[in-house]
Amino acid sequence: MEVISMIVNDEFGVMQRIMGEFTRKRINVEAIVVGKSEIPKRARVVLTVLDKEMADIAGARLPRLHDVFEVEIVDHSRHSAYALISTGTGKVGLIGSQQEIQELIERAHPDRYIQTINAI
Amino acid sequence: MAVQSFQEVVSIRGSKIVLDVLGSDDIDVIFGIPGAATLPLYDEIFHSDMRHILARHEQGASHMADGYARMKGTPGVCLSTSGAGATNLVTGITTAYLDSSPVIALTGQVPTHVLGSDGFQEADIFSLMMPITKHNFRVTDVKNLESDLRSALRISMEGRPGPVHLDIPRDVFETEAPFLGLKSDPVSPQPPDPRRLPEAVKMLMNAERPLILLGGGARISRAGAAAIRMAEALSIPIATTLMGKGSVPEDHALVLGMAGMHGKMSANIALDECDVLLAVGARFSDRTVGDPRSCAMKVIHIDVDQGELGKNLPADIAINGDCRLALEAMIELLTIKVCSSTWSDRNGRIVSRCSCDIDVQENPISVRKVIKELDGFLPDDGVVCTEVGQCQMFAAHHLTIRDDRRFITSGGLGTMGFGLPAAMGAKVADPDRMVIDIAGDGSFTMVCQELATAVAEDIPITVVLLNNGHLGMIRQHQKLFYGSRFNAENLGNTDMVGLAKAFGAGAARVDDYRDIRSALEEATSSGRPYLLDIQINREEDVFPLTLRTANGVKIHKGSCPFNGGC
Ligand SMILES: Cc1ncc(C[n+]2csc(CCOP(=O)(O)OP(=O)(O)O)c2C)c(N)n1
Repeated sequence: MEVISMIVNDEFGVMQRIMGEFTRKRINVEAIVVGKSEIPKRARVVLTVLDKEMADIAGARLPRLHDVFEVEIVDHSRHSAYALISTGTGKVGLIGSQQEIQELIERAHPDRYIQTINAI
Repeated sequence: MAVQSFQEVVSIRGSKIVLDVLGSDDIDVIFGIPGAATLPLYDEIFHSDMRHILARHEQGASHMADGYARMKGTPGVCLSTSGAGATNLVTGITTAYLDSSPVIALTGQVPTHVLGSDGFQEADIFSLMMPITKHNFRVTDVKNLESDLRSALRISMEGRPGPVHLDIPRDVFETEAPFLGLKSDPVSPQPPDPRRLPEAVKMLMNAERPLILLGGGARISRAGAAAIRMAEALSIPIATTLMGKGSVPEDHALVLGMAGMHGKMSANIALDECDVLLAVGARFSDRTVGDPRSCAMKVIHIDVDQGELGKNLPADIAINGDCRLALEAMIELLTIKVCSSTWSDRNGRIVSRCSCDIDVQENPISVRKVIKELDGFLPDDGVVCTEVGQCQMFAAHHLTIRDDRRFITSGGLGTMGFGLPAAMGAKVADPDRMVIDIAGDGSFTMVCQELATAVAEDIPITVVLLNNGHLGMIRQHQKLFYGSRFNAENLGNTDMVGLAKAFGAGAARVDDYRDIRSALEEATSSGRPYLLDIQINREEDVFPLTLRTANGVKIHKGSCPFNGGC
């Protein structure tokens, strides 16, 4: 399982545009979470796909979209967990070990986070 | 973007914003058809200097904008109303997308308060255009119109060019907003990533049998002169793809011509035998390389679009950046090299064997004879557009694009009906050039109504109709691959001369090969749109037909006289 994290325009139609690239390349998205990011007018999309090859194909195509500003294929040789946490200003992506993430999540209010990807 | 001056900012209607932004980018013509959703803009056009060319079908308008853009190298604009008008643009915009042409598609839309209610003539064209444009905008607030249109113009030209769409609800045209008079920043070519250039030069210089392959990207970025310099410095032969045709003069000794399914044997043999391929703005489409697994050579791939690098064929060295700048940077790094004369001698021999005699003096007329006559007749700056089918492949294979000639064709999408409107757009962009559409009768009848536009708007192009009464390419494939079980390919006997005359164009029928030259002279000097209905041999097929698969190369040589060498 591979995790792709993106910073995108926070606007209608953006998800459709992003998903269009996955459709074109016949890549099934296993899980997806979207929310406002800490940057004004930007949202963060975090999703998972089955394998590295698919992630690389998507990773090469997504930066060509004018609504996508950053694409990162999360390197899970260094990190094993990923979560999005709601802060006062928006949602922030957290990357770290399972334990680190768990601790961070517990420190926040349970209703303020979405535990996204258990897959990695 | 910088605000032009400190004058007081005035508010103007959306429709005027559209025309002012286009005008400030030196766009002097819009191709379109009006409708309820765009009438406010049309009223503004009435009060402005903007030329509007009324097409007879929105597909025609989109190909005209495309032909204009390809000729000028700057954005061409087409305009439709909402709903059916907008969906009619889709073929043309996809054509522009696959051939990287900077077309701006403006569609009117139902008013914002009606959006989403399935109102009269509401189509979700914003969604429909998404996968066939570089980017698109739905401008629901007039305050964003100026900046969105500016962005659209920039995006269409930046990096790899391509179409951009704006969907504009009717009330946005009618509402006022402050007009800032922003100026577009000039789009400059993207410098190549320098990191792998030395390695690429080394690989090329150490190659025993190097080949340069130029694609559409090389033509668009005008990399031809640099490619020739590099080829001459290292005695490397050059092949092109269909879209790369015309990027280098095809009468140059090192230019082998077009490779691919209907390419020249000379180019295809070199593609098979080379050990290092420098691919410049080419994307290894199936029509050029067949199955990418058939490519055993080492590949250096230059492309301005990062997404093309490694997409169809993994490259040994990938260089992201403008093709022309990348080649120029590589030339800087070249050192003197004594090149292997075996390889260049071999290519020279193959080229001389590949220049077949197409002066077929017989009736019914051979297409090759038509191309031969046209090649001799076309000025050094003549423009040839094509439809799709045998007509296109005969032209691509045999016509020599040299000097300042241009070749405009629908390569990626293979859109029948592209040639006539594209030729009209090219003629509008550069009225001093002779513009010819090489057409099949099937393709021509898909868009023949645009002859009415050409007459009304005084756009004197010449249609060289290679009339075989059939969907020739379909017939050829049924003959070769389906045991001659012909069906759905007979077009009957339309009176093409009568049809063209009904639209007010000039027209003549040609039955004898000895009359082709004088007919061309008559048509192109008439000063008006003209159709030459050339009755050609119905059984003449396009050869060679080269199929490259993972298991090897299969060549249907047919009438191709090439012998030996492969
Ligand atoms: C819009 C469209 N529909 C169908 C096709 C499939 N097709 C490819 S070539 C061809 C026949 C073209 O016939 P014609 O224009 O008469 O040219 P010819 O091959 O006879 O020179 C067809 C139907 C296509 N390329 N484009």
